[in-house]
Amino acid sequence: MAVNPIRVVIADDHPVVRVGLRNMLLVDPVIEVVGEARDGVEALEMARKLDPDVLLLDLAMPNVAGMDALREMTGSSLHTRTVVLTGLIDKRQVLEALQLGARGVVLKDAIVEHLTACIHAVMQGQYWLDGHPVQNLVQVLRDLATQTAPPPRRTFGLTARELEVVNLITEGCTNKDIAKAFGISEETVKRHLTNVFNKLGVGNRLELALFALNHNLMTEAESK
Amino acid sequence: MPVKETHLTNAVYEQLRQAMAADPAGFTALYQDYLADARETLSILRESVQARHIENVRAKAHYLRSGSLVLGAADVARGAAMLEEAAIAGDSGSFEVLLEKIEMAVNATQAELSERLESGAPPADETAV
Repeated sequence: MAVNPIRVVIADDHPVVRVGLRNMLLVDPVIEVVGEARDGVEALEMARKLDPDVLLLDLAMPNVAGMDALREMTGSSLHTRTVVLTGLIDKRQVLEALQLGARGVVLKDAIVEHLTACIHAVMQGQYWLDGHPVQNLVQVLRDLATQTAPPPRRTFGLTARELEVVNLITEGCTNKDIAKAFGISEETVKRHLTNVFNKLGVGNRLELALFALNHNLMTEAESK
Repeated sequence: MPVKETHLTNAVYEQLRQAMAADPAGFTALYQDYLADARETLSILRESVQARHIENVRAKAHYLRSGSLVLGAADVARGAAMLEEAAIAGDSGSFEVLLEKIEMAVNATQAELSERLESGAPPADETAV
C-alpha cells in the first residue's frame, strides 16, 4: 500500500541551512520537501499556496520573524503543523511558540538526531519538545509558565543571565568558572559583572554577595 | 587513518554524507558554500565591529551560529555563540578577540574538511579575510 508523503516546507534565511536540511530529510522516503522559504513573508506565502503538512520554521528570520509568521498562521485556517527550529532553548520563546500553535521545537544542533522523528510525531498528532514526544502538553505548558513567570520579588533590573552570574558569584565561583559554565568569554563575564555592579550600586564581589543575600537574589536566579 | 573529531560533529557530517551519497559533488559544494558564507559573515562582522554596530554584530553572530550548528561545525558555532552573547551584554571589548577565535575555528574546520572531503576544500589562505 502506497504511503502518502509528508509534505514539508523549510523556512530559514540561511541558504546553507536550507540545503543541509533538505538533504538530511532525503534519508526518509516518506518525507518530501515541497518548498523552501528565505524569510517569514515567503514562509507565509508558501504555507498558504502549498498547504504543506509540516512547516519547519526558523525563529530568527528577516522581514517577518518566525514568531510573527507563527502568530499570523494561528489566525488562519491552515492545517499545517509548525515545527520551530531554534539555536538555543529560551523557555519563554518555547512557551510562546506552543501557545501560538507550534507542534514541536527542535534545537539546531539536534536536527540530525531528532528532526525526522519530530516530523513523524507531529503528524501523528503528538507534540515534540526536548528531543521527545510530549505525553502531557498541559503539564508542559504549566511548567513552562511557572518557569517563565515574572519573579515575585525585585530583581533590580538584572537580566536572567546577570542573575545567573550573581548566583555563581555568591557560590564563590571565579570569572573563569562562570565563563566555563556558560560557554562565554571571561571578558563577557566581566562585562556582565560591571553591568550588575552599576545596576545594584555595589563596588566589589563581596558587596555584591552581601547585597544578593540581603535581597534574596540567589533564589531569583535559581528559579529562572 | 581516523580523522580527529575536533571541529566537526561527526554524527551530523556522516548523516549528511550518507544522505547525499548519490551526489558527492553536491556534498562537497555544500560545505564549501558553508565555508565561503562563514568567511563572508566574518568579514561583515569585522565591518560591523569597526562601525560599532552592535545589533548587527549580534544578528550576524546568530546567523553564523545557526548555520554552523546545522552543518556540525561545532567550534565555529561555539565562538559565534560567545560573540552573540557578548553583543547582547554590550561587551564590545571582547569582539576582536572573539572574532579571532571564530576565524581560527573556521580555519581549523576548513582544514579538517579538507582531510575528509574527497576533492578537498580550498586551502585556508586562499579565502582568509
